Amino acid sequence: MKNNFKFIKELIKLRLSHIMTFRLGFFGPFFINTSYFLVQLFAFEAIYGHVDNIRGWGHGEILIFIGTFSLIDSINMVICFFGVISIPEKIQTGELDLYLTKPVNPLLRITFEKVDPGAVPLLLFSTCIIGYGVKESGMHLSYANIMGYLVMVLLMTILFYDMELLLRCFAFFVFSVNNLMKIENTAMDLCMKIPGIAFDGIYRFIFYCILPYGVIATLPTQVLIGALSAKGLIFGAVIVCIFTFIARSFWTYGVHRYESASS
Amino acid sequence: MKKYLEIARAYMKAQLIWRADTFVDVILAVAKILFAWILWSILFEEKEQIAGLGFQSMISYYMISSYLFQLEKSAEISQQMTSMLRNGTFSKYMVIPVQTQGYFVAMEAGKIAFSAGIGFLATVLWSYLFRVPFVQTSDLKILLCGIIMVVLGLLFMALLNYFLGILTLKFEEISTFLMIKDNFSAFVTGAVIPLALLPEELTAGMRFLPFYYVTYLPSMLFIGKCEDEAITGLFVLSVWCIVFLVLNQAAYEHYRIKYDGAGI
Repeated sequence: MKNNFKFIKELIKLRLSHIMTFRLGFFGPFFINTSYFLVQLFAFEAIYGHVDNIRGWGHGEILIFIGTFSLIDSINMVICFFGVISIPEKIQTGELDLYLTKPVNPLLRITFEKVDPGAVPLLLFSTCIIGYGVKESGMHLSYANIMGYLVMVLLMTILFYDMELLLRCFAFFVFSVNNLMKIENTAMDLCMKIPGIAFDGIYRFIFYCILPYGVIATLPTQVLIGALSAKGLIFGAVIVCIFTFIARSFWTYGVHRYESASS
Repeated sequence: MKKYLEIARAYMKAQLIWRADTFVDVILAVAKILFAWILWSILFEEKEQIAGLGFQSMISYYMISSYLFQLEKSAEISQQMTSMLRNGTFSKYMVIPVQTQGYFVAMEAGKIAFSAGIGFLATVLWSYLFRVPFVQTSDLKILLCGIIMVVLGLLFMALLNYFLGILTLKFEEISTFLMIKDNFSAFVTGAVIPLALLPEELTAGMRFLPFYYVTYLPSMLFIGKCEDEAITGLFVLSVWCIVFLVLNQAAYEHYRIKYDGAGI
């Protein structure tokens, strides 16, 4: 464990010196993320500016929801996004060999080798949006709510990572995963605009259990506003455990099946 | 003209190679309709109309705009040009006896021609499956204006992306800029939400820009709204197309000398 932390520290150090060499590359993700965030925010304001509430959530709660989605997305972007998205290419080109033959956990290295501080300002924007949402909704936050929220954000960040990894592991078995990425983008786009509480029936099942993007920002928001039941909390923890297990197993199985660039 | 038709035909045929991609695109077009259906059915629970649109008009808008957005694939032009200019393979367009601008527009036309038919069938299919009582204009002139506007809008986006591609010769690295442009263009063309939901002052300003007429206005015209803006829209969009046709020609002539065939 201690060695792993030391290894992660070294990876981050190397990465930072690498991206400082290409300054535009350093600021690029910041501008891209900010523009995406602004578009989502404008769209939200335009849509929800015409209605008073959506299934009991007012303007404030909706702002917390979008801020939370953006917060989780930016944490992911800072820590592991650029590493995980490179998995299909590494499999196709055989570059994964270099990771498998080193005496460190290859998944650990892939996850942390492309840390990107470009999305850090977005973390701050997201926090401001959440703060503004709390102020708008006029709620008084308790210590328990805040702690619960932070724990749930952490769990949902892991779930986000699991989903990212799971879909990219298909590259071990198929030639191209581009279409799966399209599905991922579409589902995320949908769930970023609609709070999970708005889903009913089959849609609720799909976006809570099959492609659980629907819970990613919804559960933390519910914890913060004190609307999540104990059942909901357990559901959140269980779904993260299940998807972490599936993603981890799928990765391990894929690595066993991997036959260098020819696979 | 025959040369460009041949280019368009070649790219149309090439689309058949990526049948699975086309199929997935068509399937995913339903996501936007699904999004609209879920979201607006909740929002319309307490209201009859939002921004002058009823529920059926709103869903019809999303069906049309989703179809038009799916047709618009011109972002590939700037990405392709950037990549080829940087790695030195752009020379192949310079040595063939066609104008590069015409080549890329013809390429885009060929790709669109293929996906237009399939996308239309998919839209009809989704409309039937979702049992959407489709709202449409009954005025043939407005319908014709809408169709011309769609064609001009697609042409404009192709010209704009060609222009951005040329800028690689000046700025060398424009991929960050292209991603930012992609983020904003979906919003300002009305593919994310109908622009009628935005404040009036903002939409008034957007009427001077071409993006308003690429997805939003044609979709509104097809559902029988904003009919008084049809002619002005055609005029504004035509002017923007002419401006970019000239600008692209001038920019290409000016910057092409920077290309030395070995990449940047």
